Amino acid sequence: MQEAMDACAYIAEPAIATAVYLAREMRKPLLVEGDAGVGKTEIAKVLAQITGTELIRLQCYEGLDANTALYEWNYQRQILRLRMSERDGQDPAQLEAVIFGRDFLLERPLLRAITRREGPAVLLIDEIDRADEAFEAFLLEVLSDFQVTIPELGTIRAEHVPSVVLTSNQSREIGDGLRRRCLYLYIEHPSLEKEVCILRAKVPGVSERFAVEISRFVQSLRRRPTGRPPGIAETLDWARALVSLHRDRLDAETVEETLGCLVKDERGARELKRAEVTALLAEAQPAEAAAG
Amino acid sequence: MSDHDLLAHLARFAGALREHGVRVALGDELDAAAALGLVDLADRAEVRRALLMSLKVRHRDRSAFDALFSRLWTADAPGGRGPSETPRANPRPGRFHGPSNPSPRALLPAGAAAGGEANAQAEGGAPGYSREALLRRKPFDECTDSDLADMEVLLARLSLRLATERSRRLVPTRGRGQADLRRSFRRSLATGGELVSLARRARALEVPRLVVLCDTSGSMDPHARFLLAFILSLKRAAARTEVFAFNTELVRVTPWLRPGRIGPTLERLAAGVPDWSGGTRIGESLAEFVSRHLQETVSARTTVVILSDGLDRGDPAVLVGAMRAIAARARQVIWLNPLLGDPRYRPEARGMEVALPFVDRFAPAHNLESLERFLTLIAA
Repeated sequence: MQEAMDACAYIAEPAIATAVYLAREMRKPLLVEGDAGVGKTEIAKVLAQITGTELIRLQCYEGLDANTALYEWNYQRQILRLRMSERDGQDPAQLEAVIFGRDFLLERPLLRAITRREGPAVLLIDEIDRADEAFEAFLLEVLSDFQVTIPELGTIRAEHVPSVVLTSNQSREIGDGLRRRCLYLYIEHPSLEKEVCILRAKVPGVSERFAVEISRFVQSLRRRPTGRPPGIAETLDWARALVSLHRDRLDAETVEETLGCLVKDERGARELKRAEVTALLAEAQPAEAAAG
Repeated sequence: MSDHDLLAHLARFAGALREHGVRVALGDELDAAAALGLVDLADRAEVRRALLMSLKVRHRDRSAFDALFSRLWTADAPGGRGPSETPRANPRPGRFHGPSNPSPRALLPAGAAAGGEANAQAEGGAPGYSREALLRRKPFDECTDSDLADMEVLLARLSLRLATERSRRLVPTRGRGQADLRRSFRRSLATGGELVSLARRARALEVPRLVVLCDTSGSMDPHARFLLAFILSLKRAAARTEVFAFNTELVRVTPWLRPGRIGPTLERLAAGVPDWSGGTRIGESLAEFVSRHLQETVSARTTVVILSDGLDRGDPAVLVGAMRAIAARARQVIWLNPLLGDPRYRPEARGMEVALPFVDRFAPAHNLESLERFLTLIAA
C-alpha cells in the first residue's frame, strides 16, 4: 500500500498506509482528523488514483440535507412529461411508473457512490464536522447498510460497496455513533524528513538543500506557541512561490516578501517580527550559521 | 499464542483504557480484534497503529493510550503476563479518588452571616412586592437556605425562556419560506398534478450552543451555589451546554451535571474539582481550555460564558492570549461578574481589566433579575 501511495507522489507515513490497508480489508469507512492542511482530503484522492476508480466527493456544509446529499427528483422534467402526456391520454398507472423512473432521478453523491456499476468508487465525505448532527445520524444509516430507500422506487442496494473516507477539522466533536462505525486516523504535521520528501516530490526544481532549509524553517515556525501552525499545503505553496521567484536560499528579506503564502492570518503576520524571522532562519540554516 | 489469549488480552487492555477515562465500546474491541487479525503481530509499531485506529482513540487520549500500551502490550507474549500489574495502581489524580476537598464553605447557606441587615429590609419593607419579586432582586450572597430553595424553583422556569436562534437547516413550515419542490410536487398528486399550493421550508429554530466557564475559587464562594443552580437550569434548556470549572486548574464538569437536586451535585463537584474554593489562576485555566477544549467545544455559533469575578493572581499576558483565542473563535463572549451588581464596583482588578477588550458583553450576575436579562443576551 505504501509503495502504491509513493508512486502517486503521496508520501505516506506508516500510520496512513496501515489505516488505508485496514479500512479496505475490514470494509469500514475511515474517519480522518487533523489540523487544516495536513493532507486529509489527499488520502481519498490518492486512494482513488491507486485503485483506478472514480472519486465521488460530498462537501459538507451547515444546512446540508438528504435532498442535496442523496437524491432529488427532476421536478421540471416530471411536470413537462405530465403536460405532454395529458394530450395523448396515457394510462395514469403507466405514467406514474415513467415519471418516477430512474430517468427522472437526480443522483446526488451518496446515491451515485452506491449505484456506480463499474466497480466500487471512493466516496469522500469532506469536512463532516460542518454538517449538523441530524445529518450525521442520517449518514450513519447509509454507511452501515449501503442501501437507500426511495419511497417511489423501493430500496436500492449498493452494487459495489464504496471505500469511504470522512474528514473532519475538529470544529466540533464527531458523535460517538459515527466514530464507532469507522476506523479512526489522526494525522499530525509531517516530520522534517517527510516534509523534505514531499517538497522534493511535489515541487519541481527545488534542490535537496533548499528543501531542507524550507522545511526546517516551517518546522520551527510550527513550534511557536502562538498563531495557527502552517500545514503542508502551505509549505508547498511557499516552496512553489520561492521557486518561481528563482530563489535558491532563504534570507530575511525573501521571507518577509513571501510570508503571505505561509502565515495566513493578519495577526500572525504582524507578530512575526524581523528579529524572530532572523532567529528562525538561524535555526533553519545551522551549517551556514556555524560557518559564518 | 492462541487467538483466545489474544482476545483475552485485548479485553483486559480495553478495560484498562476505560479505567483511565478513554471511552472504548464493545464494538471497538471487536473492530480491534478484526484489525489485529490483519496485521503482523510481531511488529509492535504496527500493532499500536492498528489498535489506535480500530479502538478510535481520540487525539487527546493518545498519551493515556501510549502509556498503557507500553506498559501492558508486550510484543512477545501478549497473553497472560502483561496486565498482571493492574492499571488500578495509578488512578488519575483529581478525579473521583482525587484529593478530597469538600469545602464546607461552598455548601453552607452562603449569606447566612453577612445578610442580616438586607434580609430584614427586604422582608419588612415594600409591601407592594410579591415574595417572588423580592427574591428576584435579592443579591445571592444575602440569601438564606430557604430563599435559595425557592429561587431554584424560579430558575427552573426561567430557563424555558432561553432565547433561540435560526439555524441554516430548512424544515417544513406552514408560514413563509422558500418553495419546497419535493413536497409541493407530492402534494399536487392529490389534485391530479395541478400545483394548487406550494409547500414551503424555513430555517429551523435552534437552541443556542453554550460553553460555560465557571470560577469556583474562594472569592466566588458566596455565589457558587446559586450560579451552579443557574448553570444546571441552562443545561436543562440547552442540553448540549458544556461546563468547565476552574480555579487553579481547569476541569470539565459536564458529565457530573445531571438534572436533579442541586445539593448532591454540588457535593460531587466540591469533591471532584481540585482546589475547590482555593485560589484563582484565571489566565492559566483559560489557556488550558484554549489548548485542550476550544477546538472541539467552541464553534462560530457558540456563545462562551465566563462566570468569574476576575480576581486573578496570574500573569496578565497569559490571560490576554487565552481571551484573544476564545474571542476569535466564539460567536460572542459574555462575562458575568457577580461583583458588577454593586454600583461602587469598577472593573479594576488586573485580570478583569486586561480581559475586557475581548468581551462582547459584560453583565452582572448577582441576583435572579440579572440572570434573567442574561438569557436575552444569548440571542442577540
